Amino acid sequence: MSVSLDDIENSKCLFVFGYNGADSHPIVARRIVKARQKGAKIVVCDPRKIETARIADQFLQLHNGSNMALINAFIYTLIEEELYDKEFVAKYTEGFDGLWDVVKDYAPEAVEAATGVPAAQIRQAMRTYAGAESAVIMWGMGVTQYGQGTETVKSLAALALLTGNLGRAGAGVAPVRGQNNVQGACDMGVLPDLFPGYQSVADPAIREKFAKAWGIDPAQMDPEPGVRLSLVPHLAMEGKVKAYYIMGEDPMQTEADTSSVRKGLEALDLLVVQDIFMTKTAEMADVILPATSWGEHSGVYTCCDRGFQRFYKAVEPKYNVKRDWEIISLIATEMGYPMHYDNDQQIWDELRELCPIYYGVTYEKMGELGHIQWPCPTLEHPGTPILYTDLKFTAVASGKGQLLTHQWRKPAELTTPDYPLVLSTVREVGHYSCRSMTGNCAALKALADEPGFVQIHPDNARQLGIQDQALVWVESRRGKVITRANFNERVNRGAVYMTYQWWVGACNELTQENMDPVTNTPETKYCAVTLKSIDDQNWAESHAEQIYQDLKARLRSVVENAKPAAVAM
Amino acid sequence: MEKATVVCPYCGAGCKMNLVVDNGKIIRAEAANGYTNQGELCLKGYYGWDFLNDTKLLTPRLREPMIRRSKGVPFETVSWDEAIKFVAKRFSEIKQKFGPRSIMTTGSSRGTGNETNYVMQKFARAVIGTNNVDCCARV
Amino acid sequence: MNRFILADANKCIGCRTCEVACAVAHRPDGDVTGVSAVNFNPRIHVVKGGDISTATACRQCEDAPCANVCPNNAIRREHGFVHVLQDRCIGCKTCVVACPYGAMEVVTHPVVRNTGAAVNVLVEKAQANKCDLCYTRPQGPACIEVCPTEALRCIDRNELEAMSAEKRRRAALDAGAQLYS
Repeated sequence: MSVSLDDIENSKCLFVFGYNGADSHPIVARRIVKARQKGAKIVVCDPRKIETARIADQFLQLHNGSNMALINAFIYTLIEEELYDKEFVAKYTEGFDGLWDVVKDYAPEAVEAATGVPAAQIRQAMRTYAGAESAVIMWGMGVTQYGQGTETVKSLAALALLTGNLGRAGAGVAPVRGQNNVQGACDMGVLPDLFPGYQSVADPAIREKFAKAWGIDPAQMDPEPGVRLSLVPHLAMEGKVKAYYIMGEDPMQTEADTSSVRKGLEALDLLVVQDIFMTKTAEMADVILPATSWGEHSGVYTCCDRGFQRFYKAVEPKYNVKRDWEIISLIATEMGYPMHYDNDQQIWDELRELCPIYYGVTYEKMGELGHIQWPCPTLEHPGTPILYTDLKFTAVASGKGQLLTHQWRKPAELTTPDYPLVLSTVREVGHYSCRSMTGNCAALKALADEPGFVQIHPDNARQLGIQDQALVWVESRRGKVITRANFNERVNRGAVYMTYQWWVGACNELTQENMDPVTNTPETKYCAVTLKSIDDQNWAESHAEQIYQDLKARLRSVVENAKPAAVAM
Repeated sequence: MEKATVVCPYCGAGCKMNLVVDNGKIIRAEAANGYTNQGELCLKGYYGWDFLNDTKLLTPRLREPMIRRSKGVPFETVSWDEAIKFVAKRFSEIKQKFGPRSIMTTGSSRGTGNETNYVMQKFARAVIGTNNVDCCARV
Repeated sequence: MNRFILADANKCIGCRTCEVACAVAHRPDGDVTGVSAVNFNPRIHVVKGGDISTATACRQCEDAPCANVCPNNAIRREHGFVHVLQDRCIGCKTCVVACPYGAMEVVTHPVVRNTGAAVNVLVEKAQANKCDLCYTRPQGPACIEVCPTEALRCIDRNELEAMSAEKRRRAALDAGAQLYS
């Protein structure tokens, strides 16, 4: 995000689009509550009446899959009502004329049917946003997990550029990153096109710099971007990817369209899984490398506002496990590339030297409670709480903010009479990602457990003869799972919502892969499903319980039955 | 009793907290006064650490390196030395036969931290010779 | 006047951190790792409706219906709250029916009972479960301590007075403005 969490609390207007902080980041949601208490205007755009919508000044309950149509109507309104900041646009942006070419057909009155939002509400939202002294646009997966995600992000950025809401206190753009260190993984160059510090693999000078530091011939470095994780199953089935080294991830649970992921993993010659838990992915591995967990090692994470923070070791690891980077170093050394580090700080200092935007972030400066936001180019630099304060947008040579938007495209898989409901996958407040960690925590398991839930509006449920808390089948063109109906009046009619960590009610057996062409993010916010009631609830309860117990027992036995070769013989 | 300052391993809010350790075991988590969390935590921060003790409520922790010699047979537990040699040999063979781009690696957006992610991409780029490294930023 | 726990629905985000804190605080060992779906009996409950998210707990009524109806005199006003004496509770559920707030629940938990014949048997003991303001906890109510949005407060006489004064002021001034406009 271009701002800090402090700016969210101190902004005069929060424009929340496709982001449910109360479930995904309660401690960020807390800042929204505080902003509200301090008098900020809050506008929420979401198909569900999420917690933030409850306390908002304005709630635009748009149809699932209509993001781009709504944002184009916002842009239309800013221009047509002359609400935009003309001076800012003239000085710091380019592309204004092109913008109008796209949005001219998106008058608020023209998109009412597509978005489900009355034109007056659309216009009022822009008057509030443009009229605020400062405003932050917050968004989450409700924007990015669509086939048109990247384009939608650009058009949200256009709203900020049009109104001059960038580069100053309380004004900016805030995509709120999901996992504790997803920002950090990106910062560290765990991306197929970027070295650490967002330096391009296509740039020969950058390749040379890294090659020199790593003691290899620059010609050995691959000048082409690599493949993205979401494409691996298909590439494996085509025989293009033969070996897969997965560290600390469980694609069998978290990626869209599980059956396609399964086929991809089965097609590999070699699957190496390095993790702390036996997961559904680890179960399929050829080699399992057990690692130390959070709590058993130290290091640095980057949180959602670009802040580097240190974490320390609390307890000694109890099992025959090793630190992740030590395992990788041992493999590298065995492959003829000597690699050795004594501790986390040695690695950190090596990467600081190679990444100008992190150079000033030393272990000493972070200390125990410090939070240093990149860019931080020198040892004296305090870090950068707000990006773009010089209003130079250096992603392009001109340094000007690019005003971009695109025509709205409908989601890939629309509802039909056979599959009349939209399924959107969302987050569970007490569980996290594939649940290998939180599912093993006593209290969190007590709060929510298998077979998970499908949130449905009571009106839709009654039409289908479904009772609250009853077990139901949810079925898409790709699969069918059993889960528990959860009546929720805040859910829009015509759509149902499932969280993605359940083994039995596994929504990714249902989701589809239609990907954003730029990021290859699957469209997990939209596919067509049908719900079927189950007459014999006793059977259903025992069936769901059986699947759960079988899977638990299976994964446990994989670990318990593993013996040394000599004993096995 | 000792306290270790950590950052919560769950969402991206970056909450600082103290793990209170007694006799080598964590007994509770307390909120620390970090920049982002200002002395507050949510339920995952307060009550989300006991997985470390291998509770087996859901799935067991991995305790030993393991190899499956051929598809469909059970895992064998092996020494670290054997596991590392096995993986290195297989990666080298596949790289030789199908080229560096036939090998895919991932970082992790979760508990391991930035240092490991740096080392993993270095492994992909310098040792394997491919930019095939990515993370689950899209889920 | 008894104090009681009140949630501000404008701050509650429905995260249920209070429920877990309550369940853990009322375990004899205070150990979160012993919590399970079977013994998870929080005395504060998050309620979500179409427009409201909030947490509900006992109001510690001054003339408490639960205490009035208890046939075994197990519920008393003492220590500044409405206190259930578990030794006297027979699990008859009359208090559950009487409570207008749904704040009382009867739950069961296994206890070892000496039968007198030198044989210890495991039996289910019923207990009337309600907020006790964590009166044995030096830091005070656990739910208030953990609430990430500071939506929970313990209201005493002074705070109640202040809330009323503010409402009087707002009502009078708003009404006054309308009368003379």
